[in-house]
Amino acid sequence: MWILHEGMLSLVGLAAGGVIAAGVFAFLAIIGIFPRVIGKTGTKRHILLYETVIVLGGVLGNISDLYEFPILMGGRIMLAVFGLATGIFVGCLVMSLAETLKAMPVISRRVHLSVGLQYVILSFAAGKLAGALVYFIRDMAA
Amino acid sequence: MSSAKTLYLNLKEISEVHSRDVYLRDVADVYCSDQNIQNRCVSMKIKTVRAEGKHRYVENALDIIRKLEAENPQIQVNNIGKVEYIIDYQPPHPPHLLWQWAKTIFVCVLCFCGAAFAIMTFNNDVSVKDVFREVYLLIMGKEAAGPTILELSYSVGLAIGILVFFNHFAVWKLNTDPTPLEVEMRLYEDNISKTLIQESGRKEQDVDIT
Repeated sequence: MWILHEGMLSLVGLAAGGVIAAGVFAFLAIIGIFPRVIGKTGTKRHILLYETVIVLGGVLGNISDLYEFPILMGGRIMLAVFGLATGIFVGCLVMSLAETLKAMPVISRRVHLSVGLQYVILSFAAGKLAGALVYFIRDMAA
Repeated sequence: MSSAKTLYLNLKEISEVHSRDVYLRDVADVYCSDQNIQNRCVSMKIKTVRAEGKHRYVENALDIIRKLEAENPQIQVNNIGKVEYIIDYQPPHPPHLLWQWAKTIFVCVLCFCGAAFAIMTFNNDVSVKDVFREVYLLIMGKEAAGPTILELSYSVGLAIGILVFFNHFAVWKLNTDPTPLEVEMRLYEDNISKTLIQESGRKEQDVDIT
């Protein structure tokens, strides 16, 4: 009976993990952050290495999230690296979301924007920076 | 010469060149039943790059056809490739190995942290832990004390799912399809080429034309 229960549990876990992995990582691949960064840096020949790293990040991140085991290395530097990298990642993510990508051309056409699109993008980035800072400083998390 | 020879021209959408003199063989595949004509044509110079740094030129097949037929009146050109194509000039410089690897490591860090962050936010968003507690109660009939086999198998399943989805390790490859990341990369590059070609064809006089 014990074996049956444990077997049932592991079946549920395996199936859930498999399906969620496909979903989450299909999202990551399709949202276009990685192709963009790889294109910008011109390092297409390492694409398999990047996949390995994505797999590692997903698996290790999940394990440390569920089991909450401490890493205890690198200290503040590690934190800064992780924060910066996820910041860049989320920055690319919010800009590739459909609302941003589709809304910007519409707005710029409505007001007949003909020059200075780069400043619009810059203001976008500045706004995100200010918003994030205010959010954390004022502790606006519900 | 009584009958015209047909020269088949297959222009590639985008070609990377490193020398300032661009020859036809750099941007196209050429076939002609007369080997002499073919050899003469592929070594025809089609462009001299003037720009100092890297630059992309959008070119038209018509210019090539005009030039080919002017130089070889006895041939007839049949273009089976692209009509508009891109010459991507990159100055010849020795690859800076350290810089290349620095970029690769940067992208690796980004991929790793991004993937870790994505799965953590997902787990948080949908409260995976709470759901697992429920599932454990459902199956075992009692509350779980600490992490269970459910979390373990979920982690293993996650790894399997990603590996299957990315079709990643050659030994385990299920088929010869390119991986999703390779497909997305290809799409991204195609979109870039398409946009470049369309932008160059669109002469903007005023604010916007559709």
